[in-house]
Amino acid sequence: MLNILVCVKQVPDVNLVRIDPETGSLIRKGVPAILNPHDANALEAAVRLRERCGGTVSCITMGPDQAEEALRECLAAGADRAVLLSDRAFANADTLATSYVIVTAAKLLGRYDLIFCGKESLDGATGQMASQLAERFDASQLSCVREILALDEEARTVTVTRELEHGVETARAALPCLMTVEKSGFHPRIPNLKSWKASRKAEILRFDSRSIPGLDPAQIGDPGSPTKVPRTYPPPVGEPGRMLSEGSVGKTVETLFTLLGDVL
Amino acid sequence: MNKQDYRDMWVYIEHEGGAVHPVSLELCCEIRKIADAAGEKLCAVLVGDLPEEELDRIRACGVDRLLRVRGEGLLPFSVDAYTALFTALCEKYRPTAVFVGGTIRGRDFAPRFACRLPTGCTSDATELVYDPKSGDIEFIEPAVGGKMMAVITVPVMRPQVGTIRPGTFKYLPAGPRPCETVEERFDFPPEKIRTAVLGFEPEENDESLNIADAPVIVCVGNAVKADALPKYRALAARLGGKLACTRPVFDRGLLPFKLVIGQSGAVVKPRLLLSFGVSGAVNHVTGITDSEKIVAINKDPDAAIFHYCDYGIVGDMDEVCEAMLAQLGEKV
Repeated sequence: MLNILVCVKQVPDVNLVRIDPETGSLIRKGVPAILNPHDANALEAAVRLRERCGGTVSCITMGPDQAEEALRECLAAGADRAVLLSDRAFANADTLATSYVIVTAAKLLGRYDLIFCGKESLDGATGQMASQLAERFDASQLSCVREILALDEEARTVTVTRELEHGVETARAALPCLMTVEKSGFHPRIPNLKSWKASRKAEILRFDSRSIPGLDPAQIGDPGSPTKVPRTYPPPVGEPGRMLSEGSVGKTVETLFTLLGDVL
Repeated sequence: MNKQDYRDMWVYIEHEGGAVHPVSLELCCEIRKIADAAGEKLCAVLVGDLPEEELDRIRACGVDRLLRVRGEGLLPFSVDAYTALFTALCEKYRPTAVFVGGTIRGRDFAPRFACRLPTGCTSDATELVYDPKSGDIEFIEPAVGGKMMAVITVPVMRPQVGTIRPGTFKYLPAGPRPCETVEERFDFPPEKIRTAVLGFEPEENDESLNIADAPVIVCVGNAVKADALPKYRALAARLGGKLACTRPVFDRGLLPFKLVIGQSGAVVKPRLLLSFGVSGAVNHVTGITDSEKIVAINKDPDAAIFHYCDYGIVGDMDEVCEAMLAQLGEKV
């Protein structure tokens, strides 16, 4: 029986985030939190694989209590079980500390043949989680997967195509394998009403730092994060360009073309 | 960990078919400046062999040392072998920083060896500053969809690992210096490589998708309506240029990724860029700043893009595009 894990994150919808011009910090108030879009593609890939080969799809996330909502979205879209890792001590974690907590907790619950995650998050966007999760799971690693061609449970291999910079590669990897997928091949499904209702009532497994045995406090949250963000500031903006307005669009374009002269 | 025990800044030389990847040379040029500020040596790490003229191109960037690694199981590239290799090299030589081009390959293995060491890893910095007080490198990068800039440091651990996107820094060789070559042998058992490449289908070279050298570019942003694309394509064609877009337009599935301008896409340098319905997030703007003349059209007078343009028009993008086509004598 295939055991599949999907690592997900709840993120603020960055398109709606504003920056406090005084402090340069994020104004998160009133900004909806959503399931990271790339994670929805990763989940879709996992659920399709289970539909083809059988098995279980578990979802895991680290975040505040409200990240439960992202997990319920995953359950509605086909995940079988969901795990929330939530503790104040996990806050301010970089990818090294986050991957440590997720993998330590996930290993308590089982061994995985395949692990999926989004290629990057909308907010942090480091794109480093996949590599670091793969390292901690001691899994083989395939990024940019367009299609899963075959899964051989006896030989314990998976064969895929990958979208690289200048073409498409066919590659085979040994299980356990961690992969990130391309959006185009794995459009997330829209949950039906029945699965949505079931997801509302489903039980979510919860862990905090004390309920994960053997978790090293020095490797979690801020103390476990080698990268720091000493400051943030608004992006530098140059002087505005010359604004053209000649009454009508036609006239404005005419003026513009005259100004551009030879450049045109 | 004592930071004083670590020295030299490294750049990983990615190469394919006997040619160095441009990002590796861009990094050598940029890190030369950081290494000078820090009083450190710049070391290029090369796995395998390259023709002598390619080695000269690396040395011309002001490299002080070429670390040449040869051994079993290192070619072709695999995440397993390169993670093991860089972990071993960093443990032996203790560099203060390791820079890796932000290609798919680099982004696959750099965070992984950083995790194994372990140390801190950053990605996609657009500016690097050496802080003489702390001795740390400040990795400055756009964050939260380009709405703010974040300064990232690795204040305690070494090395400081960073992946940098191709085109972020300029290829401006500082000229050769005395450069020593250090030979290193590292063998990785081939049976421990868990991935195998079974085939590769190069994509067809579609010239309309090559926007990097286009003399004129018409760029559409997220405000574009799907059914309006033909008129922007027509405008680009009439001006002898090419159509391009911002990342969200690709995310909507309207145009291919090759047409995306910005940090995660192409860096362009046309003599004229017409930007329609583009908000002006830093992630995009980093890809257009080498343009000679920029004209921005947006219905929001407060759009950030107006701070990066030479000429701005507040108005409906479709109307302006149609007026331009009419002005150029095209039937709309």
